[in-house]
Amino acid sequence: MTIDRFDHTVSTTCGYCGVGCRLEAHARLGRIASISPALDGPANEGHTCLKGRFAHQFTRSRDRLTSPLIREGGRLRLASWEEAQHRIVSEFGRIKDSHGPDAIAGLASSRGTNEECYAMARLMRAAVGTNNIDNCSRVCHSPTSFALRKSFGLSGATGSFTDIDDAEVAILLGVNPTQGHPVVGARIKQAALRGCKLITIDPRRIELADYGVLHLAPRPGTNAAVVLGLCHVVRRDGLLDEPFIHERTEGYEALEELLDEYDPDVVEGITGIPAEDLEQAARIYGEARTGSILWGLGVTEHKYGSEVVQLLCNLAMMTGKVGRPGSALLPLRGQNNVQGSSDMGALPDTYTAYRPVSDEETARSFEAAWGVRLSRQKGYKIPEMFDAAIAGKLKAMYIFGEDVAQTDPDVAHVAEALESLEFLVCQEIFENETTKFADVVLPASAFLEKDGTFTNAERRFQRVEAAIDPPGAAKPDFEIITTVSRMLGHEMGWESPWDALDEIARLTPAYAGVSKERLGRRGLQWPVRADGTDSPTLYDTVFDRPGGRGSFAALPYKVPGDAPDHEFPLVLVTGRVLQHYNAGTMTRRTHNIELVDRDWLEIHPIDAARLWISDGDKVSIRSRVGQTELHVRLTERIEPGHVFTSFHFPEARTNLLVGQSADVNTSCPEYKVVAVDVRPMAEQPAFTPVLTTVG
Amino acid sequence: MRRVEVDGNPVEVANGATILDAARVAGSWVPTLCFDERQAPFGACRVCLVGVEGSPKPLPACTTPCRDGMVIDTREASARRVARAVLELVLSELPEPPAPHTELARVADGLQVGEPRWPGVTHRVETDFRHPYLALRHELCISCGRCVRACDEVQGAFALTATGRGFGANVAAGLDAGFADSTCVSCGACADTCPTDAITEILLLNGLPSSERGAT
Repeated sequence: MTIDRFDHTVSTTCGYCGVGCRLEAHARLGRIASISPALDGPANEGHTCLKGRFAHQFTRSRDRLTSPLIREGGRLRLASWEEAQHRIVSEFGRIKDSHGPDAIAGLASSRGTNEECYAMARLMRAAVGTNNIDNCSRVCHSPTSFALRKSFGLSGATGSFTDIDDAEVAILLGVNPTQGHPVVGARIKQAALRGCKLITIDPRRIELADYGVLHLAPRPGTNAAVVLGLCHVVRRDGLLDEPFIHERTEGYEALEELLDEYDPDVVEGITGIPAEDLEQAARIYGEARTGSILWGLGVTEHKYGSEVVQLLCNLAMMTGKVGRPGSALLPLRGQNNVQGSSDMGALPDTYTAYRPVSDEETARSFEAAWGVRLSRQKGYKIPEMFDAAIAGKLKAMYIFGEDVAQTDPDVAHVAEALESLEFLVCQEIFENETTKFADVVLPASAFLEKDGTFTNAERRFQRVEAAIDPPGAAKPDFEIITTVSRMLGHEMGWESPWDALDEIARLTPAYAGVSKERLGRRGLQWPVRADGTDSPTLYDTVFDRPGGRGSFAALPYKVPGDAPDHEFPLVLVTGRVLQHYNAGTMTRRTHNIELVDRDWLEIHPIDAARLWISDGDKVSIRSRVGQTELHVRLTERIEPGHVFTSFHFPEARTNLLVGQSADVNTSCPEYKVVAVDVRPMAEQPAFTPVLTTVG
Repeated sequence: MRRVEVDGNPVEVANGATILDAARVAGSWVPTLCFDERQAPFGACRVCLVGVEGSPKPLPACTTPCRDGMVIDTREASARRVARAVLELVLSELPEPPAPHTELARVADGLQVGEPRWPGVTHRVETDFRHPYLALRHELCISCGRCVRACDEVQGAFALTATGRGFGANVAAGLDAGFADSTCVSCGACADTCPTDAITEILLLNGLPSSERGAT
């Protein structure tokens, strides 16, 4: 495709999933006319999916926010930027004076750039004076981040997507890449067609299972037992890399003792996976020279999600399959910048590169750079913010790019929290469920309208450049945040996001060599040394822990937070479909809606027959905390006893069903195991007698 | 490494590199229609023919591996004559000249092939605009196979098929039922690679809302 038909073409990075496809955005008359994949994109190599390529019309949707709004007399009305900003400054000032800075909290967004997330963290820490800053990776991959730091040292994939091409075996646990990460999904499929042996482990028979050698369908919430079982067989059958264990790791003895308990028959009892399948899977992985492990939210969004990631690290270390080409651990990150938003320190307990807020040396370096005294106390995580709001301890929130009232679990609880706040600021591109509670709404920018960087699931910083201007009075998020900070009395001193990137590099040894120029078209994978050398593969010689050794974790299987019973006999699992993205804010405003126009409840024909449900029927789904309605689709890809739905349409309100059970280490919600009762909807009676009113 | 000479310029290329790779290193233009660097070389269109010293006939640049000492002439007379004739035949089947932004138009430009000398019958206009993003315009298909290979080798959806023979050769989505009723995942790799706009983005074509479109 040439640029003849377009006014200009800008190379940027996709703002949908964490794959990080490099795109050529072609603009005409101030609008996106077309998007094509960059041939030299390291993650996508000239390919992209229907979201990255086609789903851009939302940028000029008629209902884009194009002016600030402020609440007056119970309604949101149009306002000027000055008015909106003054309202924020006066309310934040009032609340800070009467309740202290910790009565205010901010959320950065995994949809935003690194520079915006860094600015948001600086706004809360320096301008407001609190560590109450978090981001939406809390509800997806915070367990991955926690576990990788525990086991290996750094919070990121150990390798790159090219490791998939070099792997003899790939284990896919709780991840459905052809739907959620389509370009990586296509890469895995091509690898499988060339002979890479896929082992898929998921309660649903995902598309890639059809291309694999083995599919294991565990009961939802039993991943830990599956991985412990794999480790048991690897050890029993002598498939260990003993020199690796001896020279590069610690804590193996404690794990050995634990593994004795997880023979395949025991694991079959817990997971429902036939013992011989588990043994075969362990042997295929253990005997291969190279093998990679990929996982997604099917691992993390559980009560013990972070522990399962640690167990996966055990499996890789036992077989020496880490830190080499073809042998990588690749968490498929959900959002475009879920890696970067946490890397940037938009977390209640860490500065950039996961350095604790309690660390004196780090805190001093930021104090010196920002010229303010910084708190050494951890702030609230997202779920704690809601609890604190209801308890009356948190009075104000500034939420940037997250529809918490739609996407966080236990919607009723979130709504109560938002109602309890005295003051709520939302920075958004569309009105949504959360803005209904807002006192000030600031019109922000989509990824095609801003400059900065995203960090993809390979730890790769990549450049983002604006192809079009934001509509109306909407502004780039970076400008909005830095302006609010200035008005609150803290001048950040940056003219552009690139100045912020320079500051991030200067204050963070792990990103020391990152700069706009060095990133160029291919980006850089952190850690980046001061001379610009980056790190496609981690841990080739040492792990990034004290002593340089990887750490085994002896963690037993524990039952999930929710379980089916007599009243709620089915287990609901939620996930994504190819055509839509998360809350659907963007994709529902494109022609993708013609391809998929609703969330479906998938149910096995055996369950459907038992419940007198036919394909296409509308059903009621009730959990311990909520109830909603969906149309059903019968499929044998799901096991009897389980049901599945996506969560892309606000009207389905799937998260009304999800309770407050969460990962024990990171508070990541247990979206993947919800006991439910499914019933056919009562038919409309053919004749309704009119009753006379009495009295 | 292999050392070859392209149009008088000595270049070094990796073992297994093709003449096309060497020509690109040397900065010599070789026209291609069925070639896409994201796919395995196919060698179907014959417009990349070049002359090689010692070879009795022109060789396709995209599928011929370099041998040490090869002397390549990308503008060799008989190679160019065949390439032009092939291209002229391709163009003669189309009901309209290719749009200026297409690869086909640029190759025609580079080879200086204008209006074909053979008027005769052209492909019947047959369009399918049922998909929200992807338009099929069968009359523009030159059977280069790039869309089918993009679907197979890049995406792995196996939704497109080469159909028909000779003049009737074309491409079909699914069992000719259109994209919507195929295994298509709407990735658009076919539209991205198509050198003629036989498969293209509807939004670029006319901007009509989907409610005003239909199959013809």
